[in-house]
Amino acid sequence: MTAQEAALSRQAIEALQPIHPPPASFFRKYIWSTDHKVIAKQYLWAGLLFLLVGGTLAMMIRWQWAFPGRPVPILGPTVLKSSGGVIGPALYMQIFTMHGLIMIFFAITPILIGAFGNFTIPLLIGARDMAFPWLNALSFWVFALSQLLVIGAFFGDLGAAGAGWTTYPPLATNIGTPGTGQTLMVAAVFVTGVASIMGGINYVTTTIRLRAPGMTYMRMPLTVWGQFLTAILNVLFVPVLGSAALLLLMDRLMGTQFFIAGAAAVKGGGDPILFQHLFWIFGHPEVYILILPAWGIIADLLAFFSRKPANWYRGTVLAMSAVTILSAVVYGHHMFQTGMNPLLGQGFTTLTLIISIPAEVLFLNWLRTIYKGSVRLTVPMLFALGMVFVFGFGGLTGLYLGAAAPDIYLHDTMFVVGHFHFTMAAASFLASFAAIYFWYPKMFGRLTNTRLGQAHFWISVVGITLVFGGQLLVGYAGQNRRLWNPFEYDLFKPLQPLNRWTSYAGFALFAGQLLFIWNFFRSMVKGEKAPANPWQLGTLEWSVASPPPHHNYDAIPIVQRGPHELSDPVLKAKLGRDWVGQAEEVPLGAPGAAQVTARGAP
Amino acid sequence: MSPTASGVIPYRPTQARGDDTAWLGMVIFLGSWAMMFAALFFAYGVLRLRQPSWPPPGTLALPVLLPALNTIVLALNAVALQGALLAARRGELPWMRLGLVLGLILGAAFVGGQLLLWTRLFREGLAFEDGSLAAVVYGLTGFHALHVVVGLVGLLTLLPPALAGTLNAARHNRLRLWVMYWHFVGVVWLAMFLLIFLL
Repeated sequence: MTAQEAALSRQAIEALQPIHPPPASFFRKYIWSTDHKVIAKQYLWAGLLFLLVGGTLAMMIRWQWAFPGRPVPILGPTVLKSSGGVIGPALYMQIFTMHGLIMIFFAITPILIGAFGNFTIPLLIGARDMAFPWLNALSFWVFALSQLLVIGAFFGDLGAAGAGWTTYPPLATNIGTPGTGQTLMVAAVFVTGVASIMGGINYVTTTIRLRAPGMTYMRMPLTVWGQFLTAILNVLFVPVLGSAALLLLMDRLMGTQFFIAGAAAVKGGGDPILFQHLFWIFGHPEVYILILPAWGIIADLLAFFSRKPANWYRGTVLAMSAVTILSAVVYGHHMFQTGMNPLLGQGFTTLTLIISIPAEVLFLNWLRTIYKGSVRLTVPMLFALGMVFVFGFGGLTGLYLGAAAPDIYLHDTMFVVGHFHFTMAAASFLASFAAIYFWYPKMFGRLTNTRLGQAHFWISVVGITLVFGGQLLVGYAGQNRRLWNPFEYDLFKPLQPLNRWTSYAGFALFAGQLLFIWNFFRSMVKGEKAPANPWQLGTLEWSVASPPPHHNYDAIPIVQRGPHELSDPVLKAKLGRDWVGQAEEVPLGAPGAAQVTARGAP
Repeated sequence: MSPTASGVIPYRPTQARGDDTAWLGMVIFLGSWAMMFAALFFAYGVLRLRQPSWPPPGTLALPVLLPALNTIVLALNAVALQGALLAARRGELPWMRLGLVLGLILGAAFVGGQLLLWTRLFREGLAFEDGSLAAVVYGLTGFHALHVVVGLVGLLTLLPPALAGTLNAARHNRLRLWVMYWHFVGVVWLAMFLLIFLL
């Protein structure tokens, strides 16, 4: 692209995104704001709040497994007064159901996708806002409505939802879990799905249409790639979950029989397994919906803080895209135990294990990015490295579950719980914190406290490894998941000490998060004012003030190079620093230098 | 801005580019919603294949005439709306208004026809609880009818600008997007008619 063409292209894209004056009224500034940065913060607050709720529920589960039948401290005398502070079987089911649903749909999704998708996509591609700002605001408020339904579910007659996060019928029908709590949760999942689709439409359209001139697909930061692929999966597969929730709602409210079979169905009846198909057609892409943004963020952070370009950028992009496609065709591995034809099971096993090839490409790229880099162990980098560790570890345990033969032994054990907590929960959790520490200066204009961040990291990564490692161990020993009191069974009695130690690690993990809460709020008031580019990086968001102005860019940048052009020897000699802005114009006189900077150019 | 001598970057008016962005958003939305209906049809297929015979023993056979009439109504609606869009592109505003109003009337007639269909089925003794056939008929067609109602609301919001003349040859992207939506709803109904009532 010549300079003249770039200028014209900029003129055209600027005309498409005129600068609006920042809103003046409180309502338009904080409530119904169409600014993607404000919406990102709204999602962040909403997600962190529910992360705390989900975490508290997790502590109650851990308490039950450590000391079954003993009154819960703190929460017992306050929240659980009616049962004398003790967690009974029905309440226990509600606790783990709500924990799972809240963490997946109302905590990780809003933080990783809602907050960081919103914050990063327009900033990192050089746009002034999302393609549909109004739809973006609507998406958040629809999401807030779904959270309200979740809160409502806690106060349902007969308690909250109790059919497990997977909400399988017939347990999830009126026969298994009557009461409004379950109905409200199914409705909440439907509504949050609508919000996800709205967000997804916005993310995909924005990434395709609003990239700044010169921001080719192969120059986008990997964070944007992760969010882009996630949005595609969201748009395609959340509707399938929507259909499942819709049919279940009809069964619960209208009395139809989509999922009711057997004695309850007089005329023909439906099929409970149908729900599992619909759920997992969505459910397997969903685990990648939760991890793809994390992969993208981590791939970027590893390159940034190793001060060198990401290893085989195109390979990472290809691998992430391959996983996106493969994720759509492996859902059967969740259903090996449903009486599936063994031939079909073999097919799903093969497809599932094929995913490990692109995953390996991704993982080796991460390691090769760090290799021989000038690693700076900043707090976001620590969390990124922690994520690489737990994700790698959790990924290996997936091989046992993806293959039908070992899965039949491990099915419905704590091993499954440990596996998906390592990959989907721990990895997403650490990536979320990496993202929060990394973009905090840009979001709030202040720096966070490094010491507190480091302490938070060590408690988190050690705690996570112990808690979920403990789950893997008891699961490998055969302990079933979702048991109210596993030690009622003689064969699990020897596992009680291990469970109890795991719980202690869990309590420590939870307590360690208080450091984060303290750091998060304290830095907002007392943190040092952040410079525009505290991490010394070249991606576009660091070229504007922290926090960025309402319209992000006074002039839309003309992008010259890829996102990780760090430690380039020629540029280093020229500029005297190891980073260069993606849109920075560097006149290069020396012959041969053009080749160095042409990396990533079309 | 005018076309350059080099001619590398084709000249596109800003409004057209904005319209294209909105169009892309609509395409992605309809693709997403197509997955929703695909999942519902998948559910129907699974339920039907699980039965020894269809309709399941003990449930009545579904009527064909009334849904066939409804299909014709929705097809005419598609023609009227497409006509309105073509007229808008040519700047023939009276024809556009006629197409819009006809589309509205035919769309409303479709909803009326569906209500008639459900009442008749209900009177003949097909309750919601009557197994998978009743679930599919009421659930899927009911969910589809909700989309028709949303489409009707959309057309109603187009009426004031159409009458005021602000929906014209230069600016008619809203009409274009709603017509796309209506065609989508029409195609989904055609699939429902063929797969649920005829097959």
